[in-house]
Amino acid sequence: MPLFVKARSFLRNLFQSRRVEADLDQEVHAHLEMLTEENIRAGMPPKEAQRAARIELGGIEQVKEQVRQKRTGNWLPSVISDCRYGLRQLRKNPGFTAVAVLTLALGIGANTAIFSVVDAVLLRPLPFEAPSRLIAIHEGIPKMGYPKMGFSPPDLAIFAREQKSFSAIGTFRNKPVNISGRDEPERVMAARVSSSLFPMLGVEPMLGRTFASDEDTPGHNVVLLSYGLWQRRYGGVSSILGQTIDIDRQPYTVVGVMPQKFEFPLPGPDDNGSPADLWVPMAFLPAELQGWGGSYLTSVVGRLRPGITLEQVRGSTEPLAREVLASYPAALTKTFRAAELSISAFPFQEDVVGSVRTLLLVLMAAVSFVLLIACANIATLLVSRAATRQKEIAVRTALGATRLRLVRQMLTESLLLALGGGALGFLLAFLARNFILALVPSSIPLPRHLSLHAGVFAFAVGTSILAAVLFGLAPAFRLSLTSTEGHLQESGRSATLSRSHHRLQGFFVTVEFALAFVLLIGAGLLIRSFGKLLETNPGFHPDSVLTLNIPLPHEAYPQEAQIRSFYRQLLDRVSTLPGVQSVGLSNDLPLNAREMVSMAIEGRGDAESETPQAICQSWVMGNYFQTMGIPLLQGRWFAPEDRVESQPVTIVSLAAARKFWPRENAIGKQIRWGVKAPWQTIVGIVGDVSQGPLNNPVEPHVYRPYSQLPGPFLEEDPFGDWHAMNLAVRAQVNPAALTSAVVADVHSLDPDLAVASIRTMTEVISSSFAGPEFNMVMLGALAGLALFLSAIGVYGVLAYVVVQQTHEIGVRMALGANRHDVLRLILGRGARLAGIGAGCGLAAALALTHLMKGLLYGVSAIDPPTFASVLALLTSIALLASYIPARRATRVDPMVALRYE
Amino acid sequence: MNTEPTTLLQGTLDLLILKSLIAGEMHGLGVSRRIQQITGGTFVVKPGSLFPALHRMEEQGWISSFWGESENNRRAKYYRLTKAGQKQLEVETKRWGRISWAIGQALEAS
Repeated sequence: MPLFVKARSFLRNLFQSRRVEADLDQEVHAHLEMLTEENIRAGMPPKEAQRAARIELGGIEQVKEQVRQKRTGNWLPSVISDCRYGLRQLRKNPGFTAVAVLTLALGIGANTAIFSVVDAVLLRPLPFEAPSRLIAIHEGIPKMGYPKMGFSPPDLAIFAREQKSFSAIGTFRNKPVNISGRDEPERVMAARVSSSLFPMLGVEPMLGRTFASDEDTPGHNVVLLSYGLWQRRYGGVSSILGQTIDIDRQPYTVVGVMPQKFEFPLPGPDDNGSPADLWVPMAFLPAELQGWGGSYLTSVVGRLRPGITLEQVRGSTEPLAREVLASYPAALTKTFRAAELSISAFPFQEDVVGSVRTLLLVLMAAVSFVLLIACANIATLLVSRAATRQKEIAVRTALGATRLRLVRQMLTESLLLALGGGALGFLLAFLARNFILALVPSSIPLPRHLSLHAGVFAFAVGTSILAAVLFGLAPAFRLSLTSTEGHLQESGRSATLSRSHHRLQGFFVTVEFALAFVLLIGAGLLIRSFGKLLETNPGFHPDSVLTLNIPLPHEAYPQEAQIRSFYRQLLDRVSTLPGVQSVGLSNDLPLNAREMVSMAIEGRGDAESETPQAICQSWVMGNYFQTMGIPLLQGRWFAPEDRVESQPVTIVSLAAARKFWPRENAIGKQIRWGVKAPWQTIVGIVGDVSQGPLNNPVEPHVYRPYSQLPGPFLEEDPFGDWHAMNLAVRAQVNPAALTSAVVADVHSLDPDLAVASIRTMTEVISSSFAGPEFNMVMLGALAGLALFLSAIGVYGVLAYVVVQQTHEIGVRMALGANRHDVLRLILGRGARLAGIGAGCGLAAALALTHLMKGLLYGVSAIDPPTFASVLALLTSIALLASYIPARRATRVDPMVALRYE
Repeated sequence: MNTEPTTLLQGTLDLLILKSLIAGEMHGLGVSRRIQQITGGTFVVKPGSLFPALHRMEEQGWISSFWGESENNRRAKYYRLTKAGQKQLEVETKRWGRISWAIGQALEAS
């Protein structure tokens, strides 16, 4: 019953507000008249009676306002009227409104865009069933320099059998393959997966089935297609099920198609981080299962048993690692025990996103700094505007508005501004999101498509509200302190209030400069890193070199002789092409060297007792060094006499020679793989070449002649890249122009071959710069925006100060101050604000920049030149922004200024 | 007459309004004068407190209002007690009894 009465009152107040108001008005007036009559009856003269009645009533409007504030649902009409009033205020100042909304739109839009990426990558759980229970498991050989690797097949078998923490274990491994038949042969990314993987992840195929457990053994040629490949190459027809397609020239039966959104392996990790176009069973070959101490390449993910925690898993890995080690052949046990073979576990999500985490967090911090600066800017504008509104506030106070009510009114205006900016910002983020993502280089594993879902929208709304409170609260609070008395009189100026306005604005500008300083330091460090990167000598001459990957399908080229003969003929043909200067082959190219071996050195005590040295190894053929422009520092090149049956020879890099023979000549020394292979003689030393991203240190490297690759190894090819040699061609003029001729030569030898990764070395280099360049450009743009907004901030404040103090300046000048003094007065104020801001920023930057260490190269996080130049830049921008209002102040005419009052 | 002789305790005003309306329907000024009368001039309720209280109590359903003619043939808004209002008066009276007893005890104790 009371609820019903209340609701009725609420509705009546809302929808019949005019009648309710009229009633109230009549009632109060009637009351006043009755009071007057009462007084007349008591014997007062009519005029006196009316006055006494008015005094007793205490003001018609105030009484009405007091009644209104007690009404049910009184907040709603007042909110609406606040909004209406706020909109009118904003319309009255279109310049201010436009600047504020646009600034906020940029700030909130940037925050929304970055947040949508952070949300997709870091916050949203992986798109699998109960993803928090999925754990990535790694083997590691820390003493050889590999703390975190995949599993080797025999180790995996033991681990899977002995572990007790996981209810299921799924394994996967990327493998590029050729698909042929039907259309053009094509190189696509495949992944070998265990049959347990998809059920463990909780994903169902869209068509057909996933793999059965009996397909985990070799001999089952079945394949699952990705939705993309199915649509693109096989026309998206469901009759594809049961048909066969050729993968590396072997027929595979299509058993299923995975859903459109399914992506696996997830992009991110360095190893096995390429989403596959098709999946085949892992089905380890017997040779792989005997490959102790090598091929640590298989990624492993486990689902925790109910009740088991990650900590428990971590506690249980040491005995498991010992168990694995115990199964190693006796010849290897000692070595790997010394190298401390280990097993480690991480949440799967952390494993996947680890590499972009720092970048995303730095960007998120940067955009929120920009938004904070934008808020501070709007706050200073609001404070300036408050000066002109003091009269209005005084009138409202006189009419019975409480201070809370005034603050609410001001905050409503701020909220309207912020929501306007937020809506525009969200629209900007929505329109620009795919454009921005397209700028992200492929080396940074971020999603290529983003959906702006409800969560992101909520973030934008929340950010807008937060922004409104941030920039609106202090000015609103300050304004509500306006005293009634002073401002109802004609002169609306109060020196003390404007001074406190200046202090408030000064505070905001200081905050802006502090934030801008931190951002500029971040950007400056990235720019310095990028400069260092550009200066880094990659160790080869990339100009005029074309590279192509020419994989020979295992099944079509099973014999050693076929493979060697194919590559031999290819070299001969390409070298005779017009415009070709030299040509060579290698299984790995600079900046992307993958093959690692463990090496033992002759004469260094008991080889077995020593930890073998991990070292990069490449197999080369033809004039590879000359083509890449890698200099021979000592000794000789490989020669045609270096054949499979002659003395094994090797060429080592300068870094290897310096590391392993620091006080000796490496030429003539002998090394070998592991502990059993024949000794190889070092015949030459070549310059160092970057094996990975240029910001990684150069590792020791050994080169072997492809002609000496033992036949059985070549045929078995456990890594799959001795069958997939890279052709490097040095052109006389334009390397890209040679592409079609080289591909024609390949197809004249075998028309079914797919040629992959056709790139010039210049492209390879620039794509290796793409990631750092993107980081630098992003942070640089944000820092530039921050600097610009701060400059506007200090300009706005000083311009306001000059206008407010025209009188004071006029007095000073009348008393003999010259233009120079006035200039110094205003500039000094600007410099002081910037100086204090920079000081706070310096302290913050010293505390914060170490968080971005992972993005830096060749500079320390507290690089003094960067700090010094940022300080200089910020100060000069602040002085420049102060100069314009300062100049205006010097033009003040003392006579005009004194009359200004 | 300009200052309230005694500040009204929270909730006391409601009680006084309900109590004065027991005597029958009356307009705002009537309620005000009635309170003055029944408290022997101790409490003078100003319109700034009276009207918000009347409107709030009406919205709570304790009193209802209608337009009528005053003694001097003036249109005035009259208030009367509802059933809920009578119940509320009982509740408030009991509560007041407890409070005044407690305060009396407290004052005697010293």
